[in-house]
Amino acid sequence: MIKVEKLCKSFGSVNALDQASFEISPGSIAGFLGPNGAGKSTAMRILTGFFPASSGQAYIDGLEVHESPLEVKRRIGYLPEHVPLYEEMSVTAFLHHVCRVKGVPRRELRSETERIMEHCGLTHMSRRLLGHLSKGYRQRVGLAQALAGNPPVLILDEPTVGLDPAQIVEIRAMIRQLGKEHTVLLSTHILPEVMMTCDHVVIINRGKIVTQSSLDQLNLSGSRSLEEVFMAAISSEEHGEASAS
Amino acid sequence: MSAILSIARREFSAYFTTATGYVVLGMFAAISGMAFTLSLLGYAKMSLAPTAYGYTATPDFAESFLSPYLVFCGTLIMFLAPLITMRLVAEEKHRGTMELLHTWPLRDRDIIFGKYLAALGVVSLMLLIIAVHLILVGVMSPMEPAVLIFGMLTVFLMGAAFISLGLFISSITRNQITSGTITFGLSLLLYIVGNLSEQLPEGNPAPAAWPGILQQVVGRVYALFRGLSLELPVDAHAREMALGVVLPKDIGYYILFSAFFLFLTFRAFESRNWRA
Repeated sequence: MIKVEKLCKSFGSVNALDQASFEISPGSIAGFLGPNGAGKSTAMRILTGFFPASSGQAYIDGLEVHESPLEVKRRIGYLPEHVPLYEEMSVTAFLHHVCRVKGVPRRELRSETERIMEHCGLTHMSRRLLGHLSKGYRQRVGLAQALAGNPPVLILDEPTVGLDPAQIVEIRAMIRQLGKEHTVLLSTHILPEVMMTCDHVVIINRGKIVTQSSLDQLNLSGSRSLEEVFMAAISSEEHGEASAS
Repeated sequence: MSAILSIARREFSAYFTTATGYVVLGMFAAISGMAFTLSLLGYAKMSLAPTAYGYTATPDFAESFLSPYLVFCGTLIMFLAPLITMRLVAEEKHRGTMELLHTWPLRDRDIIFGKYLAALGVVSLMLLIIAVHLILVGVMSPMEPAVLIFGMLTVFLMGAAFISLGLFISSITRNQITSGTITFGLSLLLYIVGNLSEQLPEGNPAPAAWPGILQQVVGRVYALFRGLSLELPVDAHAREMALGVVLPKDIGYYILFSAFFLFLTFRAFESRNWRA
């Protein structure tokens, strides 16, 4: 469903992504792991068509992102990292706008807005202004706009960052629920979160994919925890570089 | 098309969920109303005693009242257009909502034309205010419909030109103040460049002692420059048109002006594909 081949992206002299390749099969929830600045957001922004890659290809549902941007964007719901919103709009007005932009037919507008508001627990906040919402509710509105139009692929950039523990539990449950009907790629650096929500892991470090596998295959039984796998993946990369130089 | 309209709808309503729309329209109503009253009173005095003002007969209504008033309204839009356009793209970049726009299923043209339409919507509301003024005069003295229609069209085209310039400047800036200031500065510059052309004498400024070929080159360049400074000012093409004298080149000027800056806006949007 999501396929990335030899993706490179450089900002000036900085290589944010270096020959990154990975694949995520339909219907799975994939956790995109990596330390800060590893290139998670960059990869997601390329997948969603926000900016193009320097080289390499990214495919959603078999379509190349840069070649058929509109078709790809119709298949994606994207939650950006800092959840930018139009502060002066109310929750309902904003979600109506998103549905219209995503081409939801006029007569389904109301029902679609109600569906996503209910899904994200926003129904009782419908008349609030976005600028007055707390971080947790902003996150929910961000998730709701990603769900609008019911796209098959969801790309969520750090969906639980800055939330209180109760909200984190709620959002995780929501994501697990979404995974039943959607292919989900979510980035995070909270390892237990991956254990709890995902069935597939992609670990990225300094722009390179160091591990990708399903959670079952990682064999996380006994003493081997995801933390150790993560640390090993990251440090082996660094050792490799040190010995090469 | 529906994508353009949904963007336009949000942008237009954003003017009125914040104070911007009310401030801009309120200012326009107050100032254009004052200008209307003053120029109508001035015209009334002139037509009561034309000889005292150097006229032999009652001065022409369209020429000495309508056209100057409409051109003034166009100029007033020049002052207010930066307030309308400065937020259009700069605010999206500053708030990060550009990331939403670029990842929703929208083409650049949906975003650009949507925003342009919304700003034109505000200009149309200004035209509505002018229409109220003109209906007031029309009740007292019937006017030719052509004069009215083309007069309004002139103001609209002037507004559209300033809006397109502002939209472009907004698309290359992140800060709304910078965006508004540059738009205002450039509009004013284009406006006063007309005074420069009055200072430039006709003919070839090259000294007769210079070789023939050099004289020719200097003459050509000077003529081009002088021609530009005559044709470029934004109000130069409005005066005749506001009288109901419509020349294709005048309408063409404003359409080309808008098209040029819309084209630049498209290029500015595309620059995200090659800028790191």
